[in-house]
Amino acid sequence: MVHFAFLDWFWLVAFVLLMIGSGALFYRLGKRSEADFFLAGRGLPWWLPASSVYATHTATDTPMWVAGVVYKHGLAGLWYGFFAAWCAISAFVSTKIFRRSLAYSQAEWQTLRYGGMPAELLRGWVAGWQVFLNMFILGWVGIAMGKVCYFLFGWPPWMGLTIFSTLCAVYVLAAGYWGVVMADFQQGIIAFVAIAFVSIWGMHAAGGPHAIVEKLHEMGLSRMLNPFSFSGFTGGDFPVAWFITMLFIGILGGLGMATAIDWFPEAQRIQSARTVKDASWCIWAGQALVVTRNALWGAAILGFFVLYPDLTQVKDYEMAWFRLGFETLPVGMIGFFFAAIVAIHLSTISTHLNLGAVYITRDLYHHYINPKADQRRLVWVGRVGTVILLVGSFIFGSIMENITEWLIFALWIMAAGVWLPGILQVIWWRFNGWGYLTAWIFNLVFSWLVVWVLPAFGVIPHLRDYQQFWLLMFLGAVVFIPVTLLTKAESMDKLVKFYVMSRPVGWWGPVRREAERRGLL
Amino acid sequence: MPFIRRQWTSKEADEWTREDTITVIISPIVYVLLMVGTALSMLLIPAGFAILAAGIVLMLVMIWIINPKLSSVSEGYEKKQKGYIEELERTIKWED
Repeated sequence: MVHFAFLDWFWLVAFVLLMIGSGALFYRLGKRSEADFFLAGRGLPWWLPASSVYATHTATDTPMWVAGVVYKHGLAGLWYGFFAAWCAISAFVSTKIFRRSLAYSQAEWQTLRYGGMPAELLRGWVAGWQVFLNMFILGWVGIAMGKVCYFLFGWPPWMGLTIFSTLCAVYVLAAGYWGVVMADFQQGIIAFVAIAFVSIWGMHAAGGPHAIVEKLHEMGLSRMLNPFSFSGFTGGDFPVAWFITMLFIGILGGLGMATAIDWFPEAQRIQSARTVKDASWCIWAGQALVVTRNALWGAAILGFFVLYPDLTQVKDYEMAWFRLGFETLPVGMIGFFFAAIVAIHLSTISTHLNLGAVYITRDLYHHYINPKADQRRLVWVGRVGTVILLVGSFIFGSIMENITEWLIFALWIMAAGVWLPGILQVIWWRFNGWGYLTAWIFNLVFSWLVVWVLPAFGVIPHLRDYQQFWLLMFLGAVVFIPVTLLTKAESMDKLVKFYVMSRPVGWWGPVRREAERRGLL
Repeated sequence: MPFIRRQWTSKEADEWTREDTITVIISPIVYVLLMVGTALSMLLIPAGFAILAAGIVLMLVMIWIINPKLSSVSEGYEKKQKGYIEELERTIKWED
């Protein structure tokens, strides 16, 4: 339990008012149109969506899982956060292609890339999936805040979950994406300053950088200082095979779309950028900040490790960074730290509230239910969608137990079977809507079978996460490649239109030649 | 022609070229150097500062290489964007 002095409460109340107030200030801009409520009118300079990318991916649960992997594996654990490397490639490949499509969402993009029935099925499927996934993410991030509040104040977890998500909903409902991105800008600054300050302060409390390094040497754990310290090629708990798989997924994933769960919030930021160039740099810079932030945390967690080297329970050491702050900062700064945690939390919650509402409004309501809806009605549907997501997140949050387990499951498995088709749909003209739809459906079936059901019945052994990825990718390909080749290619009219507008890279020869023949290039 | 080209027409910039290839190779390396360099620098390990400095220099090189091309792509595309948005809004009305 932590005791708050007056100054601590001052920081907290001031920060919350600042965040909600600045978001709500953009009420008039947000309500102008669907494009304003969800994309800030497509007019943002690169640094605004970049700060939003960074702030969104700095959630309350993020320091928990960084602490979890660094406490266990040392600096090598930072590679768990290097999936973000997909942005290193995407910024110059798929980001440009997606920005040029002008699609509001990944679901909408499916109908620009594919035609006919499969395109419509895919749009509905991806939209429904994203509504679910955003609720799910809101739930797991929300319950992480519940854990922090339980640790700090002894509140039951549902209180931390509901209070702060509801506060956040105030400015998301008022100003939509304008509120999200403007609040994210200041939240990103607050979060980066707080992360740097608390990490340095925590390391100082552990004796300073030199003492941390010396203690690790004395403990015979010098390997924790080596970011490339693995436990063998395939053996041990952190093998090179995992590292290679991670690099493969992370870096090549940038060639495609929807190859990582982070693609979906990034897609919204890409479209909100005012030019193609701004879109590229916002994605690149936002994720560069993310990997740098992880490094700050990583060093601080080593400081925590030398202070408390004998923790064996994940639930104890995943709170490492929070404990460094709350146990070492002086009175008056604890409130500042907590306010920064609230900033971190709100930035993620606001993004997923608005993002889920994009799919409800643009892809489900506007496209399927009421195509003639006026702009005023669409903004209101966006607000109703936001409330649906908020309530859904409370339900999901209340049934989640172990954050790390769910997160690793989501990172590896939910993306495994659709990773390759996510690339193929961008780089191969012949890949079609039936193939992609099949990949999605079978991935859900295969992932639950491979991860939970078959091992539980002893049909296959319990595989390591990277082994699951390769198996799921292979199983998916066995189904979706034959389906693609046995069904018709997309119509050349559709493909030419897509090619001329988006200029994808890869194997698009026949489409390019047709576009040239028609005098469109 | 120089090894790295910095003057583009928007039509030329739409094509995949050597500059794109170099950028997508450098870019993930910059991420690695920034992450590893920052972590080791925080611990005041000398190699960390060298790695971090290399990451920053490489990042600047990458910007120097690709930014002119991105500017040309954007410039060419923005002329067509208004028409594309109107077309996109027509496709939302799938029942027509």
